[in-house]
Amino acid sequence: MGEKNFPEVKIPDTFADIDKWNTNRRSFLKAALVAGAASQLTWFTSCSAKLEEANEYLTAEQSTVLKSILMIIFPNDGNGPSADDLNTFGFVLWTLGDALKKQEDKDYIIEGLDWANEKSQEIYFEKYSELDDEQKEALVKQFTELAWGKNWMSVMVTLTLESALLDPIYGGNTDEKGWKWLEHETGLPRPTEETRVEAFFEKNKPFAL
Amino acid sequence: MKDVCVIGSGAGAGPIIYELSKAGFKVTVLEKGPWIKTEDFTKDEMTVTRRGAYKPSALDEPQVTDKPGTSGFKATSSVDSKRDFQNGSCVGGSSNFMSAYFHRLKPKDFRLLSEYGPISGANVVDWPISYDDMEPFYTKVEQVVGVSGKVVEHKHLEPRSTPDFPHPPLITNEIADWFIEAGKNIGYNVIPAARGIISEPREKRKACYHSNYCGSYGCSSDGKSSSRAALIPDAMATGNLEIIPNSKAFKLETDGNGKLIKAHYYNESGVAMTIEAKTFVVACQAIESSRLLLMSKNDEFPNGLANNSGQVGKNMVFAGGGGGSGYFRYDELSAEKVEQAKNKNTFVNQCIKDFYEIEDENFDLCKESPTGKVKGGTIDFLIEHSAPMPKGIRNKFVDGTLIYGSELKEVLKDYFTAQRRVRFEIFCDWHPNDDCFVTLDDEVVDKWGDPVARVRTGFHQRDIKVGNYLADRAIEVLQEMGAGSITKSINGNPPSNLIAGGCRFGNDPKTSVLDKNCKAHEVENLYVTDGSFMPIGGSAPHTFTIYANSFRVAEHLKKVL
Repeated sequence: MGEKNFPEVKIPDTFADIDKWNTNRRSFLKAALVAGAASQLTWFTSCSAKLEEANEYLTAEQSTVLKSILMIIFPNDGNGPSADDLNTFGFVLWTLGDALKKQEDKDYIIEGLDWANEKSQEIYFEKYSELDDEQKEALVKQFTELAWGKNWMSVMVTLTLESALLDPIYGGNTDEKGWKWLEHETGLPRPTEETRVEAFFEKNKPFAL
Repeated sequence: MKDVCVIGSGAGAGPIIYELSKAGFKVTVLEKGPWIKTEDFTKDEMTVTRRGAYKPSALDEPQVTDKPGTSGFKATSSVDSKRDFQNGSCVGGSSNFMSAYFHRLKPKDFRLLSEYGPISGANVVDWPISYDDMEPFYTKVEQVVGVSGKVVEHKHLEPRSTPDFPHPPLITNEIADWFIEAGKNIGYNVIPAARGIISEPREKRKACYHSNYCGSYGCSSDGKSSSRAALIPDAMATGNLEIIPNSKAFKLETDGNGKLIKAHYYNESGVAMTIEAKTFVVACQAIESSRLLLMSKNDEFPNGLANNSGQVGKNMVFAGGGGGSGYFRYDELSAEKVEQAKNKNTFVNQCIKDFYEIEDENFDLCKESPTGKVKGGTIDFLIEHSAPMPKGIRNKFVDGTLIYGSELKEVLKDYFTAQRRVRFEIFCDWHPNDDCFVTLDDEVVDKWGDPVARVRTGFHQRDIKVGNYLADRAIEVLQEMGAGSITKSINGNPPSNLIAGGCRFGNDPKTSVLDKNCKAHEVENLYVTDGSFMPIGGSAPHTFTIYANSFRVAEHLKKVL
């Protein structure tokens, strides 16, 4: 699944474009199914840069906020990989689908995305997706000065770190870019499809899901 | 009917399982967790630490910690605090995930009261056995379980019946030499620390392959001397051993005459089952062992099994002390030292035992001591583990402020590539006291509906003073090495994985739960062989002594069964 083999769908430019986008999204999903990839993890891991708005966990608006905030946490600044380079977005989607992560923790991530939008409208009278880059960065900075926002941002930073430092098998750390940047040599054996966390729990059932 | 039912399969159970199976007894093991095979262990942080696959979920098996604070004790469930004392829940128990620093206790540890006198606010006692009683079994652990190291003479070297360890020392990072040299410069003996990890292959086990992910991770070569890798395979080969994984014992039943007749357990489907045996050995790790006894109430033992004395759960101890660290920045080192520091090998395996007994006229506690001496402890030196997530998390905050963006990336890049962190760990006595004990919680239950352990973790201020004294000696070594940004953390927070006491052994049934052979005073066929027996943990990690004591009890059982 290295190559994109289904239509590209752009993030809606304005909220008014959502309907149109949804139509495209359905087309996209259909194409993805035809490609036999819709339910595969690699679907997220390889192609998320094109797909952030088309997933079963987030609305287009939430996806747009998430993508943007991840790039603020790990920007493309010439010092190592960015969140896009690491596929942090795809990794977060994997996390949102991870049966081993508590639903309340997953809900918390999504609530934060909605909260970002609400704050944006309170402060700038516009949805987050309509802010310019400076406004987005200013808003995120404001989050970190509020108790709730700081906690949420801390969770997002941890997820970003996971996407940079954990094994690429979980969708982040694309091509080991995080490890290479930080000159990290991982321990062996690495997880395989037979030993990755879901398979480990399925086989060993250390505790009930 | 089985001869022996062992509950648990870690370091306290392994030698019993091994010795009794080999002696021809029919042994059944109830192990709460799964049987994870060597090939299923990886160095995957997602599995091991982010999703915590080797210990029970706090939702399934919570514990309540009753922790001292400025306004008294405050109890919190691990569901809320995310902190508990659960460790390796699988065949082999937490011995699968130990760092395996194997220090023997010293003769004086066995007679602490006689050597150093009573301490106000601490329940110090002499052990009912001597170091000489334990020595053959330390040797047995070294030979059967497998220990690597090198014996060197020093003033606190304990008597040994063998000249050296059966396996040579593991390969270390050359930073080990920096510690040794710095120690020499300031007059401290930095000496090799033995590890329960084999440096060369033996039987079906491969040698340590220096994955640089060790503590917390299962071993993929079986080089780490876990009960699972070192003892259980030979026991299985006898045909006398049956291990029932995913089986949680919840009650031990007596016949009304002080004799155990069956263990009740939940099988993997949650169905309550029973097993009968002639003798029962409990080794669930100290907190859970006390809990099991407290849960086993009946008319004969209304306060819990073997608890008519009211001693079960009392005098819990942990490892006292703490740790600290310092940093070597590559731009401040010679090219040669940078190359050494960048070597990925994280093993240092050096320690200081000069202060196992402290005799220092400038130390307050020595001034108060009639002999001028007080019990001290062990300093271990380490290099930060390789696993990257703890390093990343460590750098999320700068001066208490969450960082992100280019600042976060710069800090990460600098931390990972421009410096190396070295660490020290301090082990001193955690003095048993009236505010450190296990009871059953009145409200919180586990997934089977049973009351969970409530652990009060009061500590003695003396342990903080001794811990700080030792940490300051370690810091002197780091300073002499030229490390920067040195910090220490010595406090009364109990380590989650170094747990002992709760069923301590002794000659007086009124003040102890077990006799000197670790048989319950009040029950004729109940033994407890994890760290529960220890009246004090000694100033070292407990596992080596737990292994040795379990071999000692196994020897007794072979004679009496």
